[in-house]
Amino acid sequence: MEFFQDFSKLGSLLSQMLGGSLVTLEIWALTLVFALPLGLLICMMRLSKSRILSGLSKAYIFYFRGTPLMLQLLFMFFGVPLVLGLKIDRMFAAVLAFLLNYAAYFSEIYRGGIQSIPKGQYEAAHVLGLSGKVTFTKIILPQVVKRILPPMGNEIITLVKDTALVYAIAINELLMEAKIVVMRESTIVPFVAAAVFYLIMTGLLTKLLNVVERKFAYYR
Amino acid sequence: MLKATNIRKKFGKLEVLKGVDLEVNKGDVIAIIGPSGSGKSTFLRCVNLLESVDGGCLEIDGEYLFREQGGRIIFPEPDKKRALRKRLGMVFQDFNLFPHLSVMQNLTLAPLQEQNADRDAIEHSCRELLRKVGLSEKEKSYPCELSGGQQQRVAIARALALKPEILCFDEPTSALDPELTGEVLAVMKQLASEHMTMVVVTHEMGFAGEVANEVVFMDGGVVVERGTPSQVLRNPSQQRTRDFMSKLLTV
Repeated sequence: MEFFQDFSKLGSLLSQMLGGSLVTLEIWALTLVFALPLGLLICMMRLSKSRILSGLSKAYIFYFRGTPLMLQLLFMFFGVPLVLGLKIDRMFAAVLAFLLNYAAYFSEIYRGGIQSIPKGQYEAAHVLGLSGKVTFTKIILPQVVKRILPPMGNEIITLVKDTALVYAIAINELLMEAKIVVMRESTIVPFVAAAVFYLIMTGLLTKLLNVVERKFAYYR
Repeated sequence: MLKATNIRKKFGKLEVLKGVDLEVNKGDVIAIIGPSGSGKSTFLRCVNLLESVDGGCLEIDGEYLFREQGGRIIFPEPDKKRALRKRLGMVFQDFNLFPHLSVMQNLTLAPLQEQNADRDAIEHSCRELLRKVGLSEKEKSYPCELSGGQQQRVAIARALALKPEILCFDEPTSALDPELTGEVLAVMKQLASEHMTMVVVTHEMGFAGEVANEVVFMDGGVVVERGTPSQVLRNPSQQRTRDFMSKLLTV
């Protein structure tokens, strides 16, 4: 327990952990910002009448859902530069790998939501003379958002923890920072601290998701 | 004003409409009755372009909404089709209100999409429609807060908000218990008294007898008999119609 008596060590641990958390949050946020719309695009392709588009989308989902995220990450950072002969930024590779992977999952969640909307909603829109665009943006999509919130919440929280994988391409995120201190100081305190940091992040997210779900609770 | 000729429709191998004709004139209230599976709802859905047809033609005031040419169904160009389609309104059995929109938003959404839509004027006329169906106090409510009868009355107001020339009803009271059925039928009677042109697929023989000026009895994908309510409901000429009516009376 002498680790706790040395305030300078504790201070440096905390600052390292905060730095690691910021890296984690950065990957998390960038992934979401791009994967949420990309997933919708892939979903629209999957549901389109064009067999080429839906085939492409199926192949995309088959690959990104069917191979480990770790493999995709390694391939992005080590494989792509080898094939294309260019150097790729670590952070860029990490975010790209994550957003491509998560977009595949998101697209399937969107699809489930869109297909769960009763046919009667489309028929009512049709007899009211609403265009396809208005039907989708004003009738279907708002109802889809409510229905997909629980599964989306799962993915959004899983993403926080999945970011730990980027240690494989030597990005010092939260878990990696903890591990460095564990090795240096021969103490498991940093692991415990890392767990607390993850719980704070996922706990806040859970709260936020609950607030959003309540916002949509005004109708059934 | 509306003329459907020889409408034919198959679901797979099953022929549900074997050539159905219907002519609707201004101010008509036509009740289409018949047993389940007779094709009456399918026919109304075909008229509203909710089902593709396999044959026949549909025209409004002499302009085609679809017609058969060389064994294929052809439609007018999209703008024309939409414009013609808009002259029909439709009310469904299970209401199909938009659950995430308030009563007022359900009514105003479609009129607001039109070019040069004037929000104040639209809201004003929609408020008027809600008053007409007896739901003035519910404009800020959501569909889930209303009874089935209230929801159906909102659906009627929503259809009226687009000022259709012919309003179609697909079994508008079949999802409602008898108490709520009455309030919906009352609204429909009021519309009839204001000379709204209506085509109503229904099991409500009382409504058909009292309000309709023509009753069409369908069975097996064809029109078996048509005429005034007193002819078809009380004095049918066809054996099939008599069988149907006698079953209604015994239960």
